[in-house]
Amino acid sequence: MATDTSHFEFDPGFTDNRLRVAWYAALAVLLIVGGAAMILRITDGMASTNLTSTTPWGAWVAFYIYFVGLSAGAFLVSTLANVFGVSGMHRVDRDALFAAIISMVVALMFVWVDLGRMDRMFFPFIWRQLTSALSWEVHAYVAYIAVLVTELYFSMRIDLARVAERGSGLRARLSGLLTLGRRSTSEASRTTDRKWLTRAGILGIPLAIFLVHGGTGILFAVSKARPYWNSGLFPVIFIVSAVLSGTALVMMLYVLRTKLFDDEPVDRNLLNRLAVLLAAFIVVDAALTGIEMLIAIASLHPHEVETWAVILFGEMSWSFWWFMVGMGWLFPLVMLSKREWRETPWLMVLAGLSVVIGIIAVRFNIVVPPQILPVMKGLPHGSYFPSAVEWATSIGMIAVGLLLYTIGAELLPLTPLDRGDH
Amino acid sequence: MSSSNDDVQPGVPAVETASMDAMVETERADPREELAKTDHDTELGIAMAEDAKRVSQGEISAEAYWEKYDAAAEQEFGDAYRETPNPSIESTDQTIDAGTADSLSCTIGSMESVACEIDAAESVEGGAAPEDRKARWGMVIDLQKCVGCDSCTVACKAENRTPPGVSYNVVMEEEHGEFPNVTRTNVPRPCMQCEEPPCVQVCPVSATYKMDNGVVNIDYDRCIGCRYCMIACPYGARYFDFGENYDDEVEEAGEITSPEYGVDRGKREDGKSPIGNVRKCSFCTHRLERGEEPACVETCVGDARNMGDLNDPDSDVAEMADSTRSFQLKESEGTDPNVYYLK
Ligand code: SF4
Ligand code: SF4
Repeated sequence: MATDTSHFEFDPGFTDNRLRVAWYAALAVLLIVGGAAMILRITDGMASTNLTSTTPWGAWVAFYIYFVGLSAGAFLVSTLANVFGVSGMHRVDRDALFAAIISMVVALMFVWVDLGRMDRMFFPFIWRQLTSALSWEVHAYVAYIAVLVTELYFSMRIDLARVAERGSGLRARLSGLLTLGRRSTSEASRTTDRKWLTRAGILGIPLAIFLVHGGTGILFAVSKARPYWNSGLFPVIFIVSAVLSGTALVMMLYVLRTKLFDDEPVDRNLLNRLAVLLAAFIVVDAALTGIEMLIAIASLHPHEVETWAVILFGEMSWSFWWFMVGMGWLFPLVMLSKREWRETPWLMVLAGLSVVIGIIAVRFNIVVPPQILPVMKGLPHGSYFPSAVEWATSIGMIAVGLLLYTIGAELLPLTPLDRGDH
Repeated sequence: MSSSNDDVQPGVPAVETASMDAMVETERADPREELAKTDHDTELGIAMAEDAKRVSQGEISAEAYWEKYDAAAEQEFGDAYRETPNPSIESTDQTIDAGTADSLSCTIGSMESVACEIDAAESVEGGAAPEDRKARWGMVIDLQKCVGCDSCTVACKAENRTPPGVSYNVVMEEEHGEFPNVTRTNVPRPCMQCEEPPCVQVCPVSATYKMDNGVVNIDYDRCIGCRYCMIACPYGARYFDFGENYDDEVEEAGEITSPEYGVDRGKREDGKSPIGNVRKCSFCTHRLERGEEPACVETCVGDARNMGDLNDPDSDVAEMADSTRSFQLKESEGTDPNVYYLK
């Protein structure tokens, strides 16, 4: 076996201790701010938001679909390695899976704070409604998380067993527990793992595309009362932008973790591959959004035209032009245009980050604009910008995700011990 | 301001009570003349009437009265007397019970409705009895009669005690044309109680559902406050209860709540449903159940709003909903509202 030769060393996590302290300190600040805001949210109820009966869904819903998208996207990137056997991608598959799981956890936190009755969060598992997309979604999310965890287990188990066998201390004990008793490091056991990994991945692909993320798009698309959402292309755009943000996230995490945790040179070929993929997704996403806009405007349906007017020229049009078009599409496309740049790790981190932030604006521009125009003339117009409590709780919940990810990355063998080049 | 003629009130004619009584006396029919028109004993009738007055004044008891006249009355009226239920004997509150009423095919309700029911029962000979037909509550709003005074909105807030930001009914006002050729339409908008309600379709916990009588219910004890239904409603009829109160405007504003859907929830308190839930017009289900019209219908200044059973083809609302003037809001949505408008 590849790793038997050298003496065993397993120490993922920050290589620079000062960076580690600074990072955790920053997270601690965000968590404290978020925690305080969460207390306000719970004591003051929904009155702590800027939501109204005209605009009942806001930042929390936007972040919820954002993280569902991020998760579905990251997962689909992992299947490139696990199901489609694209060479060289094994290096990132666990990272992608782990990030997908954390994203889902964060997404569910957002759904939870958004409920008017947070205490009733388990009700959808007691009472159901067959015709409700949301009812189906909550079940799909649970199934999807189960698939993700299963996949991560089969992808990582052999390394967990190695760490448990040869390492020492907390990591070894934790790894031992996480193997769930399957401690063999033989080739036969790896083959079994790979087989099940592929099976779970095959199950996961339709689940992620159609049920989890497509379903989340359907949740919006079925509301006939809001013509802006009520289009067949809408769930497709949802999936494409999800894959886009997921690819950007995985690319960014790959560079950061390789540099900061593993202290190794970045594989330029892999980076280039991810970057080309990203560029392709950006083009498809922008094209589909353009088609959607043209159809909407050409329909001359007043609600659709006015909603697009709100997006393009309204009060919040800066979020469309600067964030969605600028950071989501144009800036990264420029960054990705040259092979030389695509192989420059720090530029790619920047491009990835830009997309990851830009897609947040995409999500806001999905959720909010159709709720600005009233559903009927004569009813009041909406106007919405998240309140301080909404921002701070959102930051807090994102910080929880970052914390969970960092802890996981510090303790688990997310980078294959044989570096994924088997 | 104290004045010497306190008793005189503006607009009220200064007439002595005695002279008013005299006026009544002159109008009253002479009992002897009236009784003479029947086949029955005039003297007995006069005596019973005089004693009946004493019963109502509390001078003698009802029991004593019937003891005195029971035999005489039976002799006079024969079998018919025994077969007719006598409220003052059969129950202490001088009514007859539902069973007895039924056996005599009496119907409870106003004379008009009784007459209608008899007509209907006779006309559907052999068909389904009217009691088997389920009522479907519907509202018809005549836009020609609506003056846009918003009384319905106010009556609704008072009746349902809705908090700030929640208004089950609104009047949408629209101006058309350019000065000086302007017209204005006022369109009152309650919940449409759609036959195919998109709000019900999307609720993940089926907390909102259609009841037998056509009204769309919200179960405040089940609703998780996800607000998906608000997104789905094409009429903007749903409101989220953010927990605000009229405490600054009204003392003890939250002391009583409305028994919406027939459930009395006591005081309005933080964290207690319906706070954190979605709310909407229920056609005043709690009033319908006790035989009253919704508050908006009752209060409407222009008599523009009508309430009734759309399943009853002879009802006023069914006839109006059938007229050529009738239309529904956003008919193309396929929601088939139970609120109709007359243009
Ligand atoms: S008007 Fe709106 S809330 Fe009322 S039944 Fe129809 S969809 Fe539901
Ligand atoms: S807010 Fe309540 S009634 Fe409306 S969809 Fe959600 S759970 Fe159902």
